[in-house]
Amino acid sequence: MDPSEVEFLAEKEMVKIIPNFSLDKIYLIGGDLGPFNPGLPVDVPVWLALNLKQRQKCRVIPPEWMDVEKLEEMRELERKEEAFTPVPSPYYMELTKLLLNHASDNIPKADEIRTLVKDIWDTRIAKLRLSADSFISQQEAHAKLDNLTLMEINTIRAFFLDSLNCMYKLRSNLQPGSATGQFTDF
Amino acid sequence: MSDSLANDSGDLDQDDSQEELMTPAELISSLEEAWLNEKFSPELLESKSEVVECVLEQLTHMESNLQRVKKGDAKASIHRMEVDRIRFVLSSYLRSRLQKIEKFFPHVLEREKSRGEGAPSLLSPEEFAFAKEYHANTETYLKAVALKRMPPNLQALDLLKAVPEPCLDSFVFLRVKEKQENILIEPETDDQREYVVDLEEGSQHLMRYRTIAPLVSSGAVQLI
Amino acid sequence: MDSQSYFPVPPGVGMEENFFSLDDILLSQERLPTRTECAFPRLGFLEKSADSQDIPEGTKMELPLWLSKGLYEKKRRVLSVELPKVYREGWRTVFNADPTVVDLHKMGPYYYGLGSQMLHFDNPENPEIAQTLLQTFIGRFRRTMDSSQNAYNEDTSALVERLDCLEKELFKSGQSGLNGFQSWEKGRTSQLTASTLVLNYRKRKIADVQP
Repeated sequence: MDPSEVEFLAEKEMVKIIPNFSLDKIYLIGGDLGPFNPGLPVDVPVWLALNLKQRQKCRVIPPEWMDVEKLEEMRELERKEEAFTPVPSPYYMELTKLLLNHASDNIPKADEIRTLVKDIWDTRIAKLRLSADSFISQQEAHAKLDNLTLMEINTIRAFFLDSLNCMYKLRSNLQPGSATGQFTDF
Repeated sequence: MSDSLANDSGDLDQDDSQEELMTPAELISSLEEAWLNEKFSPELLESKSEVVECVLEQLTHMESNLQRVKKGDAKASIHRMEVDRIRFVLSSYLRSRLQKIEKFFPHVLEREKSRGEGAPSLLSPEEFAFAKEYHANTETYLKAVALKRMPPNLQALDLLKAVPEPCLDSFVFLRVKEKQENILIEPETDDQREYVVDLEEGSQHLMRYRTIAPLVSSGAVQLI
Repeated sequence: MDSQSYFPVPPGVGMEENFFSLDDILLSQERLPTRTECAFPRLGFLEKSADSQDIPEGTKMELPLWLSKGLYEKKRRVLSVELPKVYREGWRTVFNADPTVVDLHKMGPYYYGLGSQMLHFDNPENPEIAQTLLQTFIGRFRRTMDSSQNAYNEDTSALVERLDCLEKELFKSGQSGLNGFQSWEKGRTSQLTASTLVLNYRKRKIADVQP
């Protein structure tokens, strides 16, 4: 899957905005939005929030977890724990990038947040590689991967699944006779 | 702007009252689920023709409403953005199916041929036509460029054997939507033993596609 | 977005071969040391070094994998196939000690592929060969993964030169995962481009019109 497709999914997450215009309720296929009143916070999907923001029609309120103190705590925990710790949003990386790139003026300490999230991401990716290696070397058949996000899985997916496939084929060599392709004539 | 853009979900529900009732929002999520499942499963999944048709109906309905709206309408632009997003998912879904049909066409057609009376079809009518045509074109092409120049006893080529089958033993990532108990995990090596796991709702796993393939088609797990 | 218009067929890996896979076709050209177990009448022209009309029994020669597989039969001994050095016990000991030090490109480049294909020929050492292939892959996995996931925007030729063809493919898919993520992070994925097929088609049309 392309990272931009993961980002596309992240854009469906809801975020609070404060509009500076008024508009009645909109009946979208995917659900109703609004009504919009100047100064009154309202929940909209990120794709709409960013569009309105770019047209200077609203102010974006960052999600609660997008906060230096909270992220610092999370970073410490992530570094301390061996397992993956729960993430504040299944799209934390994508949302950070989207909101910081398009609405950084609405987010206090944007640069610090960017660095913190990147730190958390790096720690998690290092853990992910470690688990991938042990999954392969132990030749395991099942792993529980709670708390991993789609973007994290996605960075390693093609490589990891292809490797597992190769390993499976090489392992089936060990059972002679199980191979169906004995001198196949096409 | 009038309410003409309002989504007349009432109409739609009446149309397919024989089907289980689905709100448009649920319809869109089931399209997205089908999209991800199709993207990540090693084999071609059952065609979700009804979902595709219903979504298309919603989109045409919305688009025809949008044509009647004056330029510069604030709501219309938001509706257009939504329509574009849904269209993207829809095309990506259909495209990933076509890619798999191209990759596995002899096997897809074989499965379609051996399908029992009344069993649900793997392919939509359009996909079936595409697969047949692709098969015929490939054969004609191979004959024209190589096979007809071979000695007569070497001119036959069994595409079922020549084109690799989907590998159902591939690993997949998945998220559990409905709790499942006692899923049997087969051992990978001789010194391991088989064991069972429970799949808790909301948990995520990495395991062989073959083990959970029925759960993907029943909708109990979502591939991620 | 995945905009490839053609998906190459991957190699079969293991004992199977994929008919349409270019890698497997190249693999089938690998030469194996063989010995004839009966006379091959009137095929002497294949053996350039001898003048005789027939290939006599007991001639040692190198044959490509596809031909050896075709001629080999378990019941009727037509041909015996020797193990290439890299799969023999001496080298297996090296692989079992530390698989990461070996230059698999030089020893292969189809180390895993050819090794798996060798299992088609009856050999008492087959179980050990299969085991070594698997363990070598596992032992080298970490290195393949780390190098493919860490090398961003740099010359990777030094990293891949000691990899077997299969590992090279894995390295590539690791790199595309990394590069995809990195360019997304830098905001470089948002541009859509026309498919090359369409561009070429337009060019051809113009070329057709010109006298």
